[in-house]
Amino acid sequence: MKRIRFYLRIYRKILAQDLKSKMSYRADFIISTIGMIFTNVAGFISFWVVFQNFPSVMGWNYHEMLFLYGFSLIALTPVQCFFDNNWSLRHYVYSGDFIKYCFRPINLFFYYMSEVFDIKGLGQLLFGSVTIIYAWNKLGLEVSVIVLVELFIAIITASLFMIALMNAAAATCFWIVNSGYVMVTAFKFKDYSRYPVTIFSPVFRFVFTFVIPIAFISYYPSLLFLRSNTVPLLTWLSPAIGVASFYLSYKFWMKGAASYSGTGS
Amino acid sequence: MGLKKYLTFTRAGIVESLQFRSSIFVTILGNFIYLIITYYLWKAIYASVDSKVINGMSFADTMIYLVLASALFYFMEVYLVWDMGRSIQTGKIVLDLLKPIPYQSFMFWYSSGSCLMSFIITFLPTAVLVYIVTKGAIHLGINLLFFMAGVVLALLINYFINLIVGTICIHTESIWGVNIMKEVIVLLFSGATIPIAFFPEKLRTLVFYMPFQAIYNTPLRLLITPNMSRQERLQLLLIQLFWVVVLYGISKLFWNISIKKITVNGG
Repeated sequence: MKRIRFYLRIYRKILAQDLKSKMSYRADFIISTIGMIFTNVAGFISFWVVFQNFPSVMGWNYHEMLFLYGFSLIALTPVQCFFDNNWSLRHYVYSGDFIKYCFRPINLFFYYMSEVFDIKGLGQLLFGSVTIIYAWNKLGLEVSVIVLVELFIAIITASLFMIALMNAAAATCFWIVNSGYVMVTAFKFKDYSRYPVTIFSPVFRFVFTFVIPIAFISYYPSLLFLRSNTVPLLTWLSPAIGVASFYLSYKFWMKGAASYSGTGS
Repeated sequence: MGLKKYLTFTRAGIVESLQFRSSIFVTILGNFIYLIITYYLWKAIYASVDSKVINGMSFADTMIYLVLASALFYFMEVYLVWDMGRSIQTGKIVLDLLKPIPYQSFMFWYSSGSCLMSFIITFLPTAVLVYIVTKGAIHLGINLLFFMAGVVLALLINYFINLIVGTICIHTESIWGVNIMKEVIVLLFSGATIPIAFFPEKLRTLVFYMPFQAIYNTPLRLLITPNMSRQERLQLLLIQLFWVVVLYGISKLFWNISIKKITVNGG
């Protein structure tokens, strides 16, 4: 408990420094935020255009798809906000600057990730929240304390999957050159997490559940609310799988960091 | 011959893009996964409605369109905004400005090399594959000629848009934000993610007055629409040409104004 409080205090301090340095590039900050909003609006327009032509997809109606969409946006916020420094990892590793993180008396992974907090992600959170509230309303879903707690847990565990994926993708830079492309490819998967996994053939259903687990980002947790009569076992297991995925990616990341020998400069 | 000095830059671009072979592999793999997901998504969408043809496009038409659009996208992606933004931030742009060739043409010929490479590596194999898989849904004839002309004009339009957006970086010092806005707008309104035929009437009219649809939609229509009259084809090319001229003018004017403002710290 004492340790957690200690880490929280450190996080707050580092965060304040990061925000201060971001504020000194105000134009960049504002433009990046607008860019993020653009991305979300454009994603929504393409979603909307498709459903202008097709009333439902494989038994999922417009508002249910909207629910999945909003859920995935919220579940993808933590990776954007708290783990954005993964994108810079390969630059630090090549330039040799990564060595500075290795000499701190706190957890390496924690210290590295705490250095950047991406505020742009909050726009996405807002967008996703509005979408899911709208869909929730239109579908006439139940609102109670228990459901809200369930929703909260579902979102937190769903977010772990994308974090794990990005950690693993970023950590590849410890072994291979040009890992930027691995990250870009991994990041693209998030766009497909918003579709029901049932549209795929059995092979890819398996792949997207157990190999690249994007089905857990929105589909499996959403079943709890949209198909509450037939919730599969995987939905109940998803918190455990999420934590396990995160832990594995963390170990992988740390293994890479441990093998890091610096550039000698 | 005047062209020869420019082709040297093209060659340099080719050599540079060959340096990153592993990235080409990952890109192709990523594209492959994207195509699989797109395939299943649209299959599910088409399975959910009774009619086989929607907005004049069958499932096969939509797939061919999207596959080729994504191949075109990888082929035209030039990272010009990133290159320009970075060389403005680091000050490297000064060296490029000192070269005895206008910066715009230097960057154009330089990026033409990597474009040529990705045309051979990504677009050609994809197009051949589509031709074989669909057993000749792409008509081989005069449309190929119009398609090639359309692609060249589309390349120029794409280049000038990138140049304008890159010039914005001189003023803003923000690369990520500016670039993502450009990417999002171009991808959506060019019909690269969803065929423009699916857009609602009002949006389609709006899109028609923008230059973006001339990048992906026009060449693809020239390639896959059967029995398009010659007049209609020429009309499409003329619209593209119009945008090339307009965007060239804007980019040149904007560049000439902005270049006076550039500040580079030491170096």
